[in-house]
Amino acid sequence: MSAARTVLGNGLVVVARGNRAARSIAVRLVLEAGAAFDPPGKEGTSALAADLLDRGAGALTGQEIAGYFDDLGVFYSAGARRDTLEVEARFLSEHLPGVLERLRILVFEPTFPEQEVERQKGLTFTAIAERDQDTAATCEMLLAQSLFPAGHPYHAPRLGTRDSVRRIGRDDLVAFHRARFAPSRATLGLAGDFEPARALEMAAALFGPWAGAPAVRRADIPDPPFPDSPVVATCSIEGKTQTDIGLAFRGLRRLSPDLPAALVLNSIVGEFALGGRLGKAIRDRAGLAYYVYSRFTAGLGAGPLVVRAGVAPEGVRRALDLTRRTIEAVRRRGVSTSEVSDSKQALASAIPRRMETNPESASVLADAEFYGQGIDYPEKLPGLIRAVTRSDVEDAAERYLTLGRHVLVVAGPAIDKEALS
Amino acid sequence: MKTTGVRSGLRVARLTNGLTVILREMHQAPVVSVWIWYRVGSRDERPGITGISHWVEHMNFKGTRSIRKDDLTRRVELAGGTWNGYTWLDVTTYFETVERGALEEMLRLEASRMTECLYSRTEVERERTVVIAELQGSENDPRTYLDKEVTGTALQAHPYRWPTIGYLSDLRAISRDDLYAHYRRYYVPNNAILVVAGDLETKETLRLVRRHFGRIRPGAGLPAVRTEEPPQGGERRLTLRRPSGAAYLDLAFHSPAVADPDFATLLLLDGILAGGPTVNAWGGQDGRGPVKSSRLYRALIDGGLASEVSTSVVPTRHPYLYRIVVTAKEGIDPARIETALGAELQRLGRGDLQPRDLERARNQFLARYALESESTTDAAHQLGFFETIGDHRLFLDLPRRVGMVGAEDIARLARARLAADHRTVGVLLPAGPSAIEAAATPGGPAR
Repeated sequence: MSAARTVLGNGLVVVARGNRAARSIAVRLVLEAGAAFDPPGKEGTSALAADLLDRGAGALTGQEIAGYFDDLGVFYSAGARRDTLEVEARFLSEHLPGVLERLRILVFEPTFPEQEVERQKGLTFTAIAERDQDTAATCEMLLAQSLFPAGHPYHAPRLGTRDSVRRIGRDDLVAFHRARFAPSRATLGLAGDFEPARALEMAAALFGPWAGAPAVRRADIPDPPFPDSPVVATCSIEGKTQTDIGLAFRGLRRLSPDLPAALVLNSIVGEFALGGRLGKAIRDRAGLAYYVYSRFTAGLGAGPLVVRAGVAPEGVRRALDLTRRTIEAVRRRGVSTSEVSDSKQALASAIPRRMETNPESASVLADAEFYGQGIDYPEKLPGLIRAVTRSDVEDAAERYLTLGRHVLVVAGPAIDKEALS
Repeated sequence: MKTTGVRSGLRVARLTNGLTVILREMHQAPVVSVWIWYRVGSRDERPGITGISHWVEHMNFKGTRSIRKDDLTRRVELAGGTWNGYTWLDVTTYFETVERGALEEMLRLEASRMTECLYSRTEVERERTVVIAELQGSENDPRTYLDKEVTGTALQAHPYRWPTIGYLSDLRAISRDDLYAHYRRYYVPNNAILVVAGDLETKETLRLVRRHFGRIRPGAGLPAVRTEEPPQGGERRLTLRRPSGAAYLDLAFHSPAVADPDFATLLLLDGILAGGPTVNAWGGQDGRGPVKSSRLYRALIDGGLASEVSTSVVPTRHPYLYRIVVTAKEGIDPARIETALGAELQRLGRGDLQPRDLERARNQFLARYALESESTTDAAHQLGFFETIGDHRLFLDLPRRVGMVGAEDIARLARARLAADHRTVGVLLPAGPSAIEAAATPGGPAR
């Protein structure tokens, strides 16, 4: 069933896709209020705000909200990502009116009770301590800090730091909500067991009166200055049994015309089958890693192409050497016609499966609308992918696989720094 | 071929070679999910070959006599598909979810995987280090390390006690011939279940299944696990010190097997304590902690003692372990958590339950049950998983069984299973230095 769309008077875009096959519904609200919009010095505000939405809203206490969701078996979650703060609920279809009404209250009128703010900050401190002892999480954090200079919206970790979280108070959360919860910069996606027109009507009645933050221009996330020579960052975490490696190259934005070619390039380099060329070189032939892959994180701002792997400490040098050779080979000798054809076919034909369930459907649609790709993007994407040529992929490799101007991060035990040079 | 049952779009059949076939029509999307299950897991191992079932699973992505290694995954992805496999206590499984037109190709692929995988010595050696890397990666996580230690302490006799990934010394010693013998012994149709769910036509699919699997010869009968875990005579405790950002508490209690009438009672007991566990080992591990109105959330997280609580009830063929794992909030002694947790377990044993508690736990179970078997992949997984550990009807029947549980059943189970002298308590305390040595980054790292 195709999706329906409406734009409310306050600018909120609502998309709905009916699916009568299962007696359930998924709702996803995407707000332009992610970690990128944390106030300077108070990084972690978005994550705290997300965690606290259901701990008090309107006249409802946190226990009353939890009681309502838990009585009906509603799966509720909210979290901060890089660009967005997202609220999701999954539930049996008879509860749609009640759940939408509760979500409305949570989003319109969170109260951020003082006691809950302090409690949540305590939980965040523990999560930060765990993150800082985790090689994979540390690797991701150092990649962001190395790619984006201090002050760039993508520089700081999503949870913030001990110092930044300590500085956040209730007033900061109230101010963040007032400034960033703007219907004109949000998308509500619904998928499941309903008539789309009726779901849009219901959403309009509940979310139409949402004044929220004033209409704002889409955020401008600047491109980071790219290094002229390799940047290497390491974090030694003793006592661990495995090392995490991250290698980042130039990135691109979600609306970049290069995106389809970059997706095909990423598939060839580190995704297709058992991790593309990297998987073949590092896992399959050399037996060095259980996981090795590449990914793009194109968003409002340019997200990098990142290669990630987990290897034994003594295998770091060899894994890096194979990664370098693999990337160089793509840049110098290009890609084969069959590689391009395989990756295009895989990417283009995966769309129905990726939208099979209601949560997947609501997420894909809300995401496509949020980033300005449009409600028909899932239908258009296979055509865009199929139009990519081998030469487009090689151009993308030239542009994005910026070997020599990359960022390398290694987090783990006993790091041999000579191996990284 | 004998058809043994039809129920709400479900067809169950058994081929003459012993292969069990379960088909379920679901027409919500033009996709099908094909799962092949083998009744072999870490319970079928012994010291010296621990981890062999999981390693065999890895080897079965290394090519067959008729399908090149790269094609085992390539063909799936060209059909818009996703694929994977896993090994656990009782099961080894492989799946492909693909566009419906690729169904026959996936059946051909799994029939080939059942009968003609290659096991070259070069590939065995390459995969040895991959599996060791997987082990080392998992041990980087202090919770996984604690889990392994607690399991091995709580169970002293039953083969569920060793980790599915195996011990490092065994992974270094297992030979190519060990692997191949294990493969040939367990990968036979009379030890397998094939499940297909999705946009299929039952009759035609059965015909295709017969074409690709019907001629495979059955293997010899396989021995059942004989060892039963002896009753635990007293509390067991262990304390570990590992590099970690937090302290963790891991409690293990002996839990009933899936076919035991008390299994449904445990699901509701956990519902009251934590909001209810998933019974979907594949798609259900969504990282959600206990629901916020649950007793453990209120006592431990709202109570300012913990930052995270998780519980698990694993459906297994033999009795296993019910787990409660708590991340201590910074500065909190795990002993305080243990006291608070003990009070909640005693409260259950005293029968301190309201009808609303029971109704809420039932509603949560039923919603989760429906949401976690909605996709073709999840639906096929659930039917196959339960058939492999006992009978797929155990899954279909869970809502009815859960509906029959009363408050007194829960109190009785809490007294019988959650008493202090039947538990194993593991504590992991942070240890070891950690330092950032260098970070040539603009602005430097923030901690």
